[in-house]
Amino acid sequence: MIKLENVTKVYKGDTVALRDATLDIAKGEFVFLVGASGSGKSTFIRLLNREEVPEHGRIFVAGKDIAQLSTWKVPYLRRNIGYIFQDFKLLPNKTVGENVAFALEVIGKPRHVVKKQVPAILELVGLTQKLENFPHELSGGEQQRVSIARAFVNRPLILLADEPSGNLDPQTSVGIMRLLDRINRTGTTVVMATHDRGIVDTMRRRVIELDRGVIVRDQARGVYE
Amino acid sequence: MTISPIYALRETGQNLWRNVLLTTATIITIGVSLLMFGSFFMFDYAVDNATQRWEGGIEFVIWMNPDASVEQDAAIQEALNSSPQIQNHTYVDQFETFEEFKELFADTPEMIEVVTPEAMPPSYRVVPLDPDADVVAELANQFRGRPGVKEVVSANETIRAIQDLADRVGLFLFLGSFVLLAAATLLILTNIVSAIRNRGQEIEIMKVVGATNWFIRIPFMLEGLAQAMIGALFAWGGLYAFRRFVISEFSEPDGLELLAGFEVSDNEFFSTSILVLGIAIAVSVVGSLVAVTRYLDA
Repeated sequence: MIKLENVTKVYKGDTVALRDATLDIAKGEFVFLVGASGSGKSTFIRLLNREEVPEHGRIFVAGKDIAQLSTWKVPYLRRNIGYIFQDFKLLPNKTVGENVAFALEVIGKPRHVVKKQVPAILELVGLTQKLENFPHELSGGEQQRVSIARAFVNRPLILLADEPSGNLDPQTSVGIMRLLDRINRTGTTVVMATHDRGIVDTMRRRVIELDRGVIVRDQARGVYE
Repeated sequence: MTISPIYALRETGQNLWRNVLLTTATIITIGVSLLMFGSFFMFDYAVDNATQRWEGGIEFVIWMNPDASVEQDAAIQEALNSSPQIQNHTYVDQFETFEEFKELFADTPEMIEVVTPEAMPPSYRVVPLDPDADVVAELANQFRGRPGVKEVVSANETIRAIQDLADRVGLFLFLGSFVLLAAATLLILTNIVSAIRNRGQEIEIMKVVGATNWFIRIPFMLEGLAQAMIGALFAWGGLYAFRRFVISEFSEPDGLELLAGFEVSDNEFFSTSILVLGIAIAVSVVGSLVAVTRYLDA
């Protein structure tokens, strides 16, 4: 599903965010990206979403070299990729239902599709009762569930999560991880950058460790360290 | 991909409403600049029409002294009759001149009260064979300074005076409208940039979930277009009023003879309206395109 071949990303000032990274992530895998701050986890995720373009190497997503993708095709790539933010990024003036529907409306989905899919995804994340609530009326965990619902409502092939439990307490984080695990079991590939040792050690999934832009460990059913 | 008209209109309306003060300022500036631009063209049409009437039979007027002798009068008449360059001429006596005077100053009876027909200068209204301005000027010169002649006024001078005034007014309107149009373009740009910044998070989410650039751009571009169209509508109303109440005032039968024919036809008004609309669209496209390409795709 995802393939990196000798990918190097350098920022201005010669900061190497990713150096000669090569790896394969199969369809339906759940992968943790771990490493200290500044190790390149966020850059890795931004490269997969084509927010960044590598200086060297090739990145394949669903068989397509996205580094060579024309700018106008990027939105169509992103429709196959869900994105979960650490700070949720919910629109404060829209209700839960409208926040989720927004992701479908802006890619031109017809109204009847929106009406059908929004309640279904809110049921999956356990927020059916919060359809009409605004983000400020929700707890942090609930807000992250809305963010996940928005990322998954279009049933993407890949879900990218950048520290999704970073702003949550441990108990709430467990709930979020259960939800992501459930989504992963539907065949969706999940790539998650995290600092949360407890989650990584508990779930025992593939772990890719980065250190100053270099992949120093790639371990199946791995632990945080 | 298609963009739902309801979505586009809703987003455009919200953008306009969020910045209602700036939106109002932009619409007023566009309206005034287009009104000036349109006025320039209508004024130009009107002057063309007014002077064209004179060009059809360029004439000059020989004003005689009220106390000119019969011999002096006969000499001028003889000169007019014998000149091969003159097609015809009309004599307007003191009483007819007084009637014209009364018509001209109908609004100020106090002027009429102090004037008598005897004080009015009689005149010869001359139509030359060759309407060329230089020929007319030369012909008029032949009568200047002759005994009994008070003054010779050629229509050509009048036309030049009108055209000179029209050029100055036109230049002012043209330059003024350009400055205001540039300001309007910048205001549209500022308005859209402000809307883009207000909706920064929304735009970020749109990009992340896969909205196309055009899908994101269109409501902002429609915002610029809406401002320009509303401004154009106000300008059109102003131009209509300008034509109806100002220009037509000049061309009325009891108006100044000098400005008779100072009018704008329906076709000319229509083409001015289309031009104003075109300028409005151009201004909105330039302002909004610069805004979305420089500040949205960055």
